[in-house]
Amino acid sequence: MKNILELERVSKRFGRNVALDNVSYEVAPGTVFALLGENGAGKTTTIRILLGLTDADMGRAAVLGYDSGKDDLIIRKKVGYVPEQPVLYDWMSVAEIGQFTAAFYPNGFWQEYCRQVEQYELPPGAKIKSLSKGMRAKVSLALALAHDPELLILDEPTSGLDAMVRREFLESMVDRAAAGKSVFLSSHQLGEVERVADTVAIMKKSKVVVVEPLEVLKSTTNLVTVTLTDAENRAKLTVPFKSVIEERVNGREVQILGRYLNPAAQNMLQSDQNITRFEIRTPSLEEIFIAYMGKDCPPLPAEKDK
Amino acid sequence: MFIEIDLNSPQPLYEQVVQQVKFAVAAGAVQAGEMIPSVREMSKLLAVNPNTVVRAYRVLQEETVVSAQRGMGLVVTNDARSQCLAERKSIFQERFRRVFNDAVRSRLESAEIREIVGSLLASLGTA
Repeated sequence: MKNILELERVSKRFGRNVALDNVSYEVAPGTVFALLGENGAGKTTTIRILLGLTDADMGRAAVLGYDSGKDDLIIRKKVGYVPEQPVLYDWMSVAEIGQFTAAFYPNGFWQEYCRQVEQYELPPGAKIKSLSKGMRAKVSLALALAHDPELLILDEPTSGLDAMVRREFLESMVDRAAAGKSVFLSSHQLGEVERVADTVAIMKKSKVVVVEPLEVLKSTTNLVTVTLTDAENRAKLTVPFKSVIEERVNGREVQILGRYLNPAAQNMLQSDQNITRFEIRTPSLEEIFIAYMGKDCPPLPAEKDK
Repeated sequence: MFIEIDLNSPQPLYEQVVQQVKFAVAAGAVQAGEMIPSVREMSKLLAVNPNTVVRAYRVLQEETVVSAQRGMGLVVTNDARSQCLAERKSIFQERFRRVFNDAVRSRLESAEIREIVGSLLASLGTA
């Protein structure tokens, strides 16, 4: 198996709404892959199509070498999946839901589930309905991991959870990766993604705009801030990037986030007489994400000359 | 060994891990013959991708700060401490270089930069 999962020209509509528009990428085994995007960008639809919970209108999805459209039962049995809002039988206890689920999996599930329950300090006798949101999430994670899946899929795993539970989720993702397993997660927590992801995909309005190793994305993206002697000189400024993702102008200040900085940028800006100050730095994943979303913050009113 | 990483730093995470381990060795927090945490432990400790730690450890091995000991893991080498102490200087030199570079690009004069450095050292009681 070359890839742990694949999407090939996948499209999906719900009525008039396009949820996924010609999405293609693949995920290599043993990696942590993070899918980023605003609400409604198509992240959950992607996950549901991969798991065969929703059919694609066009294209092909495959997980662990199985076709998501035909072999969905096999896929769901082989992967671990933590949905954004885990659906658990409320009236069961933490132990009961583990025993119940163990019946669907090979031997060893129950022992591993118990180990996880202990690790996450979950009360085995407590009913699911009495648990906090964080504890329910941990039960869901324990159920997803107890059969030691090759691939763990997490849909917004830590949204709405407190810092401690988020940390535990992060650690368990890291642990999966250290054991050579793969993790596919969708997330809004860019700081967390920055820590754990090998590869990121950014979705915007049902399309994938970037799929790249995080390290490559970060090392080839720069944020250049320039202060001009006169706002009119903006037109004379040579943009030192191969491609510009976002440009913001605020009076005499120009901020450009782009990919593949010209190696001579430093000298070009230094020798430009129309520039009073400049800064070149590596942006955070959050800054890169926001730039790709193209959401310009309204410019601050220009400061009056004193 | 306590290691801290700064997600807002422009420095890649693996480089931060390399540097922090070197600082820990220089300070004597881990000494010659002692083990550094395994990749799995360290990646969990920092909550970072294990590949980041693998890469950092490879650099540390290449620079002979640590060496693989059969059946044990990575162990701090005998001359690692003197090496890391020496390197601390060059690491700070590089940090200063970046800051000074910024200052120069903001058209600050050398005299002004010297003045800042002088008064900072004075305020720390080291000059």
